[in-house]
Amino acid sequence: MKSPGLRLFAFAYLIFLYAPIVLLPIFAFNSGTIIAFPLKGFTLHWFDQLFSNATLGQALRNSLIIAVSTAIFATTLGIFAARASTRYRFPGKPGIMGLIMLPLVLPEIIVAVSLLIVLLGIGVPLSIFTVILGHVLAATPYAIAVLNAAFSSLDKSLEEAAYDLGETKWSTFRLITLPLVLPGIVSSMLMAFTISLDEFIIAFFLAGEQVTLPTYIFSQLRFPKQIPMIMALGTCLVIASIVLLTIAEYARRRGIAKTGAKDTGGFL
Amino acid sequence: MTIKTASDRPTMIEFREVQKYYGDYHALRGISAEIRAGEFFSLLGPSGCGKTTLLRTIAGFEDISSGAVLIDGKDMSNVPANKRPTNMVFQSYAIFPHLTVAENVGFGLRRDPRSSAEKARAVEEALELVGLKGYGPRAAHAMSGGQRQRVALARALILKPKVLLLDEPMSALDKKIREQMQVELIKLQRELGITFVLVTHDQEEALVMSDRIAVMFDGEIAQLADPETLYRHPNSRRVANFIGVMNFLPARVTAESDSHVALEVPGLGPLEVTPDQVAAQTSGGEATVGFRPETLTLLYEGQTASDREAPGVIDEVVYYGDMTYYDIRLDGVSAPVRISMRNVFGRPVLDVGSRIRVAWSPGALVLFR
Repeated sequence: MKSPGLRLFAFAYLIFLYAPIVLLPIFAFNSGTIIAFPLKGFTLHWFDQLFSNATLGQALRNSLIIAVSTAIFATTLGIFAARASTRYRFPGKPGIMGLIMLPLVLPEIIVAVSLLIVLLGIGVPLSIFTVILGHVLAATPYAIAVLNAAFSSLDKSLEEAAYDLGETKWSTFRLITLPLVLPGIVSSMLMAFTISLDEFIIAFFLAGEQVTLPTYIFSQLRFPKQIPMIMALGTCLVIASIVLLTIAEYARRRGIAKTGAKDTGGFL
Repeated sequence: MTIKTASDRPTMIEFREVQKYYGDYHALRGISAEIRAGEFFSLLGPSGCGKTTLLRTIAGFEDISSGAVLIDGKDMSNVPANKRPTNMVFQSYAIFPHLTVAENVGFGLRRDPRSSAEKARAVEEALELVGLKGYGPRAAHAMSGGQRQRVALARALILKPKVLLLDEPMSALDKKIREQMQVELIKLQRELGITFVLVTHDQEEALVMSDRIAVMFDGEIAQLADPETLYRHPNSRRVANFIGVMNFLPARVTAESDSHVALEVPGLGPLEVTPDQVAAQTSGGEATVGFRPETLTLLYEGQTASDREAPGVIDEVVYYGDMTYYDIRLDGVSAPVRISMRNVFGRPVLDVGSRIRVAWSPGALVLFR
């Protein structure tokens, strides 16, 4: 950071990144319906409107169900895949791992459209269940990437030592492996949860009659008088994100302190 | 190759024609050997010789392609690692970082039906055995390298195994702590009477600690013997080279009978060796004689050799404090030989280029052919 140019660039970059987020709460508490300065006055009306909106409540419930399910399924699949890829050698491993990781680079719209065609083709009714399927597909590669790092930093002889001391393969996994990769599991669930919560394209194609938070927000943007309420919603989401990340980071650092591992950097 | 050991002690571990393939790679090429009960046994060899693989076949971490491993007379083919009467100290120690020292040491007692008070006492006894009394409540990850090794040792010994397996346990320790641990391990082994099997690439460590040593190259046991036999009577040039320093000089066999072999060695002259000085394994190459640096002595002014002597010039001097190594070019030989002299009081260190005489004895030579 010797060059003033670089310093300026970094500063401008941070403003560009975070200024819009700072605007969210400002307009969420502004009594005017138009999103523009000067501000008119303070109001809690938009939050009132937010919490009494039944469709929004339904969208939030759906989104939470989808995101939690996605986090659990993607992370469970990720644990199996990461363990297989770090511990075992089997024929066709690079090809299989490549296929699993492919959704990471495939355009989501292609995944969404092809899933829609397949699901309609085999006659599965569209619901939040089909959204979960799509989201698990999209989130699993991220989960594997996070969990791969956790599993590969685990010394293999720890598991052998527990097995050598009379434990079974399963109790070894439960007593040694699981506690030591727990920070990775938490990271993976958090990531899958976040990916699912704000995913739009797959949800838009596969939700059928149901609404999720992103599809609901998108549908409301057509109505200018709804915008301040969306600002209030955004404010709530930002606060929830910060709380969630703080808890996750606290848990991660505590885990590191407990095992004396080297801090390789987390979210914060 | 079968090595029969004549001993009154019973056999604890027996390898019968053990073969191990990793795909096309032939890691163990028909190992047959016996390890006696209560013995401190070492598997010594360079990396990739199969010594760790062989150790892991005892523990049950490695399936064998053919042959059999027997522990205390029982075939271990269908016995998984968690049911074998062996415990292991790992190279990385494999201390469970999320547990305390006491939880680590007591880990193997989880399935023990004894009361928790009795188990706690067993843990404390095990910690005392390795000199870590009172360390139980500490976090295992906060221990130093030497302490971790002791924790690993206590953890492996608490189940009272018939065999303790040690996979290069001292390689990560610095020299002082390593030497201290070597002595402690020997004492511990004698005290407990458990069979110890140590894997090491450090020939000095193997010589210091072992009752017997199996020297391994390329998935085979090259020689299995006690340390002194290995050092004095290596059965091949390769073993001789791996254990300690050995000088080699080309030799020509001039006559041979049942009682002696007559040789002509440039630099040393004509000499005779007895059949027990001839290495067991023949390589088919040129005959060479080998001798250890300490079997030769520099002769100072006025000293005479008790047996034979040879003239030469000092090529290089390496001063070690307690010892001085001289590389000496014997007259009529181009490659220098190394000899070691203790720096006892009053003995000067000689300079490069000095002409000297060296005392030697045909009895200290080994003939490789």
